[in-house]
Amino acid sequence: MNMADPRKSFGEALLEIGKEMPNVLAISADSSSGSGLTPFEQHFPERHIEFGIMEQGVIGYSAGLATTGKIPFVVAIAPFLTSRPFEMVRNDVGYMKQNVKIVGRCAGMSYSDLGPTHHSLEDIAILRTIPGFTVIAPSDPIEIKAAAWAAAKMNGPVYIRIGKDKMEIFNDNPDYTFEIGKGVTLREGSDATIIATGVTVYKSLQAADMLAAKGIKVRVVNLHTLKPVDEEIIIKAAKETGRIVTVEENYLAGGLGSIVAEVTSQYAPVPIKMIGVKDQFASNGPYDELLALYNLHPEGIVKETEAFLK
Amino acid sequence: MNKHTQSELLELQKQALAVRKNILRMVKAGGSGHVGGALSATDIITTLYFSVMNVKPEDPNWADRDRFVLSAGHKCLALYAVLAEKGFFDKAILDTYGSLNSPLPGHPDMHALAGVESNTGALGHGLAIAGGMAMGLKLDRKKSRVYVIMGDGELAEGSNWEAAAAASHHKLDNLMVFVDLNGLQIGGQTSEIMANSPLADRWRAFGWHVKEIDGHNIEQILACTDGIPFETGKPTVVIANTVKSKGFSFAEGKASYHYWSANDQEMAVAEEDLQKAERSLQQ
Repeated sequence: MNMADPRKSFGEALLEIGKEMPNVLAISADSSSGSGLTPFEQHFPERHIEFGIMEQGVIGYSAGLATTGKIPFVVAIAPFLTSRPFEMVRNDVGYMKQNVKIVGRCAGMSYSDLGPTHHSLEDIAILRTIPGFTVIAPSDPIEIKAAAWAAAKMNGPVYIRIGKDKMEIFNDNPDYTFEIGKGVTLREGSDATIIATGVTVYKSLQAADMLAAKGIKVRVVNLHTLKPVDEEIIIKAAKETGRIVTVEENYLAGGLGSIVAEVTSQYAPVPIKMIGVKDQFASNGPYDELLALYNLHPEGIVKETEAFLK
Repeated sequence: MNKHTQSELLELQKQALAVRKNILRMVKAGGSGHVGGALSATDIITTLYFSVMNVKPEDPNWADRDRFVLSAGHKCLALYAVLAEKGFFDKAILDTYGSLNSPLPGHPDMHALAGVESNTGALGHGLAIAGGMAMGLKLDRKKSRVYVIMGDGELAEGSNWEAAAAASHHKLDNLMVFVDLNGLQIGGQTSEIMANSPLADRWRAFGWHVKEIDGHNIEQILACTDGIPFETGKPTVVIANTVKSKGFSFAEGKASYHYWSANDQEMAVAEEDLQKAERSLQQ
């Protein structure tokens, strides 16, 4: 399986977007090179604006820039653009309905060894409470690029959540399309549906293969857009497979599991198993081991799914 | 410095009085409001809109307009009153203040009312938004300027100083801030709650050109807007010494009128005060 760096992939996309859309700006909070923005900066030095380590300021400035017709892409370590300046994101971008794109990189626990100050396990939950916001967690490098383009082309605030480590490229098929708010069924199955987002999508596909070898056929849905949510694909999965497993590199409070439960409990109640980080600050260490600690690796997803289906 | 004629100054004083009448009209409609800071900022906002800023009430989103950001969003009675007086919307809308779904909420909403440029109210947001506007206008090589009103109590918010540093670093000399230094905030004297002195030195240290004026002296307000930027490449801040609740005799200089829940007796005094001010302008 080919792999690619998510930040580099994003940066490559932003450069191409910048070539087509002259109003697109790259905004850095001393976060440029680590966010893959170097090619954009080299190509468009005037459209790459450095602010230093001021994440409250950088969101406000971006909102102000957007009022003049600019399309700022602000990119930095995820918690510093979401939980730290939350009120600026809520008011200056959300309430003011400004065309600002916030890209939180090294999200989830991907800054694994740096510990909980650098983890971002609540960003999905808090940003989706802001009216009018679009929240996307792309599942592979191809989807990162597609999401960046879709965000640039739509008018309104967007949050894109990307990780740090290289990701498997699995959306490289001719039928692949990306539409904001439209989930993707990656694997058919009737025993249950695994709904995943971001980095857990590929791990869920691997888990589905392992379950298939044991005779358990699960559907796998990539819910790349957390808001607006694709209710239809969730309701369909609930009605057709009867059980849902959600897998997210996020706190269970307010994240993907909550989103799925909000939909199913109203329109198609089914038992749900939620895999994610429970009410605790995560530990630290190598990324793969950290994911495994919370059953966010294929073996963990298999184990939880089997127990759930018994 | 341009000389301003006595008739121009008198005209602006009359407009400021009309603005104070509009403020009272809204409080009458809604029963209460943040009058203290609105009245201390009234002369500055009036002067900006009637003599300094390039705006078109009939085309509020005109791309080349100057922008105004009320960072201290709770002073919105003054902004609404000025926008109404300037013709951005029908004055009858002033009477909706305090009613359900009014386009005049207790803090301004740019999507609800023509002429409002930003949704402020949470303190410490406006300067960064205004800085972004100034930066965007510069990127487009526009000559437009961005004017900001900040409260002095608001300066305790750390986010302001991020925004201030970025404005000088990026040489936003099309950005001009007025600090409405009325010395009071909801809980009492700013100097006792969280001192901000030496205020001029603080701004200078952040790379700003600083002026100090009497924020109720229209000639001084006009003088400080003539010839900006005073230093090429530097944003300007005007520290405007003001009186909270200026113009309402019973409330002037009192922190307790930061938010005024009006009663009939005080309302009558406020009306008398404005009538007196009108008579003195007619002499």
